[in-house]
Amino acid sequence: MNDREFDLSRRAFLDRVFAASAGVGVMSAAPWATAAAAAPAQGDLVRLGVVGTGDRGRALIQNIARTRNCAVAAICDNYAPNLARGKALVPASTRSFTDYRAMLDAGGLDGVVIATPLDVHARQTFDAIDAGLHVWCEKAMARTIADCGAMVTRARAGRKVLQIGHQRMFHPTYLDALKRAKAGDIGTITQIRASWHRNKSWRRPLPDGAGREMDRQINWRLYRDRSAGVMTELATHQLQVTNWFFDALPTRVMGSGSICFWKDGREVYDHVALIYDYPGGRKTIYSSLLNNARYGCEEQIQGSKGTIEPELGRIYSEDAPRVAQLAQMQCDVRDGRKRPIPIGGATWFPELPVRTPGDALKWGEYDETMLQFEGFGEAVRSGRELPGLLYQAYHASVASLLGEQAMDTGRIIEWPKDLVSV
Amino acid sequence: MGTRIELHQFGAGDADALFAARRAIEAVDDALTIHRPSPATALNERLASGGSVAVDDPLLLDALSGICDVWRWTEGHFDPTVGVGEAGQWRHVHVDVAAARIEVSAPVALDFGGFGKGYALDRAILALRARGVECALLSAGESSIAALGSHPLGGKWPLSIPDPARPGAELIRLEIEDRSVSISATVGAGAAAPGRAAMVRPSDGGIVTAPATAVVVDESGAVAEAMSTALIVAPRSAARRLINLRRDCRHLFTHEGVPLVQAGAYGNQAL
Repeated sequence: MNDREFDLSRRAFLDRVFAASAGVGVMSAAPWATAAAAAPAQGDLVRLGVVGTGDRGRALIQNIARTRNCAVAAICDNYAPNLARGKALVPASTRSFTDYRAMLDAGGLDGVVIATPLDVHARQTFDAIDAGLHVWCEKAMARTIADCGAMVTRARAGRKVLQIGHQRMFHPTYLDALKRAKAGDIGTITQIRASWHRNKSWRRPLPDGAGREMDRQINWRLYRDRSAGVMTELATHQLQVTNWFFDALPTRVMGSGSICFWKDGREVYDHVALIYDYPGGRKTIYSSLLNNARYGCEEQIQGSKGTIEPELGRIYSEDAPRVAQLAQMQCDVRDGRKRPIPIGGATWFPELPVRTPGDALKWGEYDETMLQFEGFGEAVRSGRELPGLLYQAYHASVASLLGEQAMDTGRIIEWPKDLVSV
Repeated sequence: MGTRIELHQFGAGDADALFAARRAIEAVDDALTIHRPSPATALNERLASGGSVAVDDPLLLDALSGICDVWRWTEGHFDPTVGVGEAGQWRHVHVDVAAARIEVSAPVALDFGGFGKGYALDRAILALRARGVECALLSAGESSIAALGSHPLGGKWPLSIPDPARPGAELIRLEIEDRSVSISATVGAGAAAPGRAAMVRPSDGGIVTAPATAVVVDESGAVAEAMSTALIVAPRSAARRLINLRRDCRHLFTHEGVPLVQAGAYGNQAL
């Protein structure tokens, strides 16, 4: 696909999503996507410095390279093997650093992309903003709720764009799902079951001779001072989706976490189960585990008339009542018509799962991670953040960290009343 | 009973006829259920150690009396005993209706299952008749149907029974009037799920897995239920014998492509 075809397919999809839904709330529910739907303006590429060239950082570099308005101008990593892998993805002339502060001091950047361990997000964001740069940071925002709020406050005070990596907000299927939900296709949404189930230890191999410190650097997700484990690295995505589809924030959270299977010295839970209460009695039921992948990653958005499973890209209507035949008989008699009454059959189980195939949601031909960078590039150019993004990201991070607190304390944790205004 | 029951009344009848029929069904459920405390569960507790037990609940006693009859009519292939000792324990049971007592010579537990569903429809039909209703169709989970009187547009009620082994195909078409229909099968929606729709052979306690559907028409819904179960679990020779006693209203389809048992008089090609 050439650039023109690509652009047309992207715009055509977004046009279909938004043009047909102006009256049903999608524009207000995803205002950032409206902004991102426009093709990038012509002009100099936005120069980005990428801090962290591990697996995720390298994926981001490749997505940035596909945008029409951004370029990787520098890369940085304090772990030599990762930096070498990052260099392989960028032109040889791209500057590289082992210290992010040196990269900031070197100048020549419009923004910084942070793909580092969670516990350093806040510090690196502060330093980048203080250096006069806009920031794109991977989710979750920070290791503490206080630091998440401080990142928002610092960005606003410095008049810099702060965008957090929640790519589902740009995903064509999620946008179509939102449109269908706003149009009432699945009725009143009262429960979202979200899960991220994997069957892998999450432990990365260490180089020969590596000691404890190297383990904590490479396997930072397994240690509590660096990460909240599955809550900040996985659940935060799905909590963003549930807040988004409920168009609300939780009122409280309760949960249970355990190191249930991978008893390898890790400090974070490998098995979590939580309930997030929302206004009106609505609930998100969340689970994540690392020793069974049967049910994978999914959000099941459940309404009175149907269910949406956006990761599968499908929407399901509630089964028509099985008694339709007898209701038809009533109609027939009223109409003076006599015909055979189809009986259901020998075996009827009223509570079995519905197995109807459902209908496909729309798929786009563009990549959501790329699109969020194009949106970031335009935000950097204009100096104005894409509307609504930071609100979603901040509260998703708060929700994930609140869930950790609920599991750690074994208590119901109320939604904080002292969060910063976004 | 764990199933949806629908009552469709047409034409004349007292204003409270449907309510009375519903109460009749609920009364049967209250008496015969084994899924919550009930006269049936109390009876089972006392029968677990054998001996002679008084039956105080009139519905329970009436149902036990009815089971005595259908156990005999089905040559013992309908047997409501479960879970204690070997299968087919009803032979150890003696019901004295006049004395309102049941006596067992071995530990026994009862599960009224589908019989209870048909019995409930029978009681509902009685309640409707008593209130002047002459035309109604009752459905319990769509596998148990009872028709009161003739079709509201005249003639018999035409029923189309689907083929559980061939989605979209019709297994048999029936016409009934003042009759009940019971459908039992080892195939169809949910039947393959673990623990679902297990048909136990009273003769040896084994689970019937051969694909088969039985459709039985009878004056009594309870009898229809018992007979349709018996046709599924009985050996082929016994099933043929039971069908031949009333070829016009007992049908067994094996879904195996081999006509091992003669079907009824409706000329359906399945057997």
